[in-house]
Amino acid sequence: MRATKGTTMTGPAISVSGLRFTYGALEAVKGISFDVAPGEILGFLGPNGAGKSTTIKMLTGQLRPSGGGARVLGIDVSTDDPELQARIGVCFEEKNLYLNMSAKENLEFFASLYGIKDPDADGVLRRVGLADRASDRVKTFSKGMRQRMMISRAFINSPDVLFLDEPTDGLDPATAAAIRTTIQEEADRGVAVLLTTHDMFEADQLSDRVAFLNAGEIVALDTPENLKLRYGSRSVKVRLREGDGIREETWPLDDAAAATRLGALMTSPDLLTMHTEEATLEHIFIRLTGRGLAG
Amino acid sequence: MLRKDLALGPRSPLFLYAITLPVVLTAVFQLAFGSLFEPEPRLAIVDDGGSALTAAVQDRGGIELTVLDGAAELRRAVEANDVDVGLVLPAGFDEAVRSGEQPPLELYVSGESYASNRAILSVTILDLVREIEGGTPPVAVQLRQSGEAGLPLAIRLVPVLVMYALFVAGAFLPASSLVDEKVHGTLTALLVTPARMSEIVTAKAALGALMAFVMSIVTLLLNDSLGGNWPDVLAVVLLGAVFASLLGLIIGLLAKDGAMLFTIMKSSGILLFGPVIFYLFPDWPQWIARIFPTYWAIDPIWRVAVLGDGLGDVWGSMVIAVGLGLVLVAVVVRLSRRTLAQLGTAA
Repeated sequence: MRATKGTTMTGPAISVSGLRFTYGALEAVKGISFDVAPGEILGFLGPNGAGKSTTIKMLTGQLRPSGGGARVLGIDVSTDDPELQARIGVCFEEKNLYLNMSAKENLEFFASLYGIKDPDADGVLRRVGLADRASDRVKTFSKGMRQRMMISRAFINSPDVLFLDEPTDGLDPATAAAIRTTIQEEADRGVAVLLTTHDMFEADQLSDRVAFLNAGEIVALDTPENLKLRYGSRSVKVRLREGDGIREETWPLDDAAAATRLGALMTSPDLLTMHTEEATLEHIFIRLTGRGLAG
Repeated sequence: MLRKDLALGPRSPLFLYAITLPVVLTAVFQLAFGSLFEPEPRLAIVDDGGSALTAAVQDRGGIELTVLDGAAELRRAVEANDVDVGLVLPAGFDEAVRSGEQPPLELYVSGESYASNRAILSVTILDLVREIEGGTPPVAVQLRQSGEAGLPLAIRLVPVLVMYALFVAGAFLPASSLVDEKVHGTLTALLVTPARMSEIVTAKAALGALMAFVMSIVTLLLNDSLGGNWPDVLAVVLLGAVFASLLGLIIGLLAKDGAMLFTIMKSSGILLFGPVIFYLFPDWPQWIARIFPTYWAIDPIWRVAVLGDGLGDVWGSMVIAVGLGLVLVAVVVRLSRRTLAQLGTAA
């Protein structure tokens, strides 16, 4: 977990216990439990239909839970308390901005809904690299710029909890990296972040912990490192020249015979490449659920 | 929220359409059936002795009267074609006429004026002089009305125009604004702020009511139909504007997208505009108009603004309109809850 700054929260920022939701006969969320501490980034991973969006809708007050309970910043999400929305920021996957308003007008309008009289719209736009487009209508923005606008809107009320749904979706690598830095800065100042993403690299890089959600259940919840240690295989893959062809060998790292063989290979003129074979989060997810994240 | 919608308004073609439509329709209807482009004859009078003729012209109506201070100013006005005819009434004119002196009366006529206006003004002035003289006319004119008795078509078209103003601005604007928020997902974005669905819906209703109120008053003004009692007119127009905006909210909450909105608007057109057809055809059984809910919103406007009745004459219709409005409020509340549930369960 990253350093926690500027927060008065003593307990978890998000506390979920046995949370359930049913759409008619379909149980979309099956009694999940987890906590997110102030300053922590929790990666919420799962394929489409796993229950991620339903969970976020319950935590942001858009849906009333069918069972169990959840508190965000100590506020019961099943009560219609506007204080909850006043202290959270939500970045949707859908770019739901007012296209006929300028970037600054969008932010100032949303700030007014939070009762903020003199919002620092320019400062927020500067953080996402849109300061020079503040007066331009959003409809003239590219997909990446609109995504950055979505992030800036989530920041406008200086929230204590951020819900980010695919925040770097469709961004070029440089912009995505800048957005990740911004999210990390928010966490560093004590904001709890619930991050939904299909991007395993992003989840691995940003998340303090990740939760694998499948068919409405959390099948694993731990730090990326621990998950890799627990479910990954420690091995090395080598590629060797063999006559006119190439041969591959995979050796487990915890094996004495493998150590001898690898030592010999290190000095062999036939050695082409040597890579450690760490388990990725996606591999672990597939191993745990039997299905990929993209589906 | 209302400020945002009003600020966004001029950027929306639909908003501009709502503002311009009543004006354009008034111009078209008045051109075809009315007298918008046929100004009244213009008469200027210099009245040195407080003649009864000046007051009689004012009472008669149908003439645009300007009272000037001196003959030189009057001649300049006629030369510039600011008036069609100028008339100088010397001091003691009335007494001279009554004593049978036949005083000379000079009419200054603008060379650019319409012959019809000159004829109307000349005949009117002669007629009024004869009234001052108190003599018996040489002939007894018998008026025989030809054609149906009743209000001219240009007046009977006023409810149609007001209905357009009410329902394009009052119903269509909030409905399309709500649908836009749903289609573009901004409604969901609003609902994760401290704003509540009830506040969003109220803001849309205020937008519709405000625009409908303003556009209805403008339409009545353009059609010279503001009745005699301003506060009464404002009250009935406000009631109609709120009624229209509630209908707009229902349509906006029902419609999932723009295509569905237009389908609902088109299919509900006969229900909305049904009653005003009966004003155009007064021979039809008027009780049928009362079947339409919108009749109770438009009829007080017709009677107070156009016919000059007072609130005391239309209170029954207003009570029914308020009652129907309360039913509409209940429907809006129910549909708002349904919309919230749909948004929450939407993928």
